[in-house]
Amino acid sequence: MNFTGLSTDQAPPISAPLRFFLTAPIFGIVAGVLLFFSDVDLLVSRYSVETIVITHIMTIGFFSFVMFGALTQMLPVLAGAKIAKIKFIARHSHELLVLGLVMMILGLYQSSQIYEIVAFVSLGSGFLMMIISILIAIKNVENITATVKGMAVSISFAFIVVLMGLFLLFSYIKGETTQLHYAIANIHSVMAIFGFAGILIIGVAFQVLPMFYVAPKFKSFCKKYVILLISAGLFIWLGLNLFYEEYSLFGKLWIALFYWAFATTVWIKFNRRKRPVSDITVWYWRAASIFLTLGSFLWIFDEFFKHEYIVMVAILIGGGFILSILVGMLYKIVPFLVWFHLNAMGYMSIPTINEMINKKIAKVQFSFLMLSIVGFVFSFYMPYLLEISAVSFVVSMALLEYNILAPVLIYLKTKKTKPDFDMSAFNIQEK
Amino acid sequence: MSTIKEYLTNDHRKCDDLFAEMESKASSSLQSAKESCQKFINETERHFQMEERVMFLEFETKTGMTQGPTAMMRQEHLQMRALMGQLLESIENSDTDKFFGLSETLMILMQQHNMKEEQMLYSMAQQHLSAESDRVVSMMESLIVE
Repeated sequence: MNFTGLSTDQAPPISAPLRFFLTAPIFGIVAGVLLFFSDVDLLVSRYSVETIVITHIMTIGFFSFVMFGALTQMLPVLAGAKIAKIKFIARHSHELLVLGLVMMILGLYQSSQIYEIVAFVSLGSGFLMMIISILIAIKNVENITATVKGMAVSISFAFIVVLMGLFLLFSYIKGETTQLHYAIANIHSVMAIFGFAGILIIGVAFQVLPMFYVAPKFKSFCKKYVILLISAGLFIWLGLNLFYEEYSLFGKLWIALFYWAFATTVWIKFNRRKRPVSDITVWYWRAASIFLTLGSFLWIFDEFFKHEYIVMVAILIGGGFILSILVGMLYKIVPFLVWFHLNAMGYMSIPTINEMINKKIAKVQFSFLMLSIVGFVFSFYMPYLLEISAVSFVVSMALLEYNILAPVLIYLKTKKTKPDFDMSAFNIQEK
Repeated sequence: MSTIKEYLTNDHRKCDDLFAEMESKASSSLQSAKESCQKFINETERHFQMEERVMFLEFETKTGMTQGPTAMMRQEHLQMRALMGQLLESIENSDTDKFFGLSETLMILMQQHNMKEEQMLYSMAQQHLSAESDRVVSMMESLIVE
């Protein structure tokens, strides 16, 4: 059995998750700026270059970055799994992913084959380096819990999604987008959202909600079968989508039903939680439940309207559900990491988690983000809302960067000034 | 009788409930939370001692691992004891912001610690001490906190 996660000395270096976390809101700002200058007519189509670029800035630059960063920290704690050579892997996969994403943005916007080739190589190696390392780490876990299963399934979907993404990028390099390209693009996006991100969030929620919020436990049926059933749903949808497209709605219904059930369960669990504290993370979980419910229903509804609403579905589920959960998680994990690492070094009188993040700014950040998501949804009908929503989104991402940078600056300052080790906390025990 | 893993995992949940009760009281008035804070600290201290003075010792004797996971867990107990001390102090000083800052920090630290124990250490202890499970549990049950 692996005990590496039990040790603060062997816990992943703080730089591994932080480099991913700190970059994410910067890409959020870039996405917001591009949205501001985009033509709303182009964004309505899911296959326009603008939509593809902006979507990937968020899905790779924000979602994948935060999920990878979180996994480097969570795997040792939740699964006792250590990613080998984590410092090296995190650093280089981060560099490759940043380079690859920037090249992909430039390559697609400028139709530059050279940039697209660099993007193909960098994104491919960056993603695969991280995904394979995580899968190897999980493979050695002995005590397989529902959360570990969720992580393994989610990362396996990530593997498939990345391979499909590389295929899609390759068709841009070749300059030919066939019918197969659009079929793969559709599967790529559904598996990324409901397989990679969605299953990871559900798997982690099994563990995190009862523990951190003292909410009722998830039923063992849920923990045992929900991830399996969603995965089965995704493959059923895949088969129907490829071979019996007229029936693919049934696959969608299957997937949407479980996600809607998850959203409702989260809402109920928060209502029944024993811990009364209602901090910004609770607000984010609540918002995520609402957006996921709306998004799941609209995804089904969209089937009857020739996929006119698919971009709106992406905003509700990508922006409203996944982004909300990830931002909420950053507010918990970043200050804790700083506190934990400083405490492990022997500094005792460090600010508490709540003192590291300005709660008022966090609430303002939440409001701007929520306004922007609602604004983006309505800009579908009222195009003039796009610009103001984009500004609101940029402000929310800038405030988020400020909020997570503040604890990191405390960390750097404390390490630099090296205050005397303060043992007063221990003296209290001896009184 | 419950296994070591079940017994200690259930005890974690008991401590969580007391923690939630303490925070609940503190959200109406900090002074009213004093008693439940002390109750939470006493129960958590009892849990620590059940591990440090009974289960960890048995585990260390059986496996010969004294500098392994149990040493790390003892270290984290020390961190939590320090935070619990500060928590009481913040009630004495009627410092609500400090109290909730500390309680949030303690909560995350405690849950991260619990996850490691429940996912790894308890399973391993159960595996190594399966023959002595009942004896270890009854020793923990009858422990008098020092």
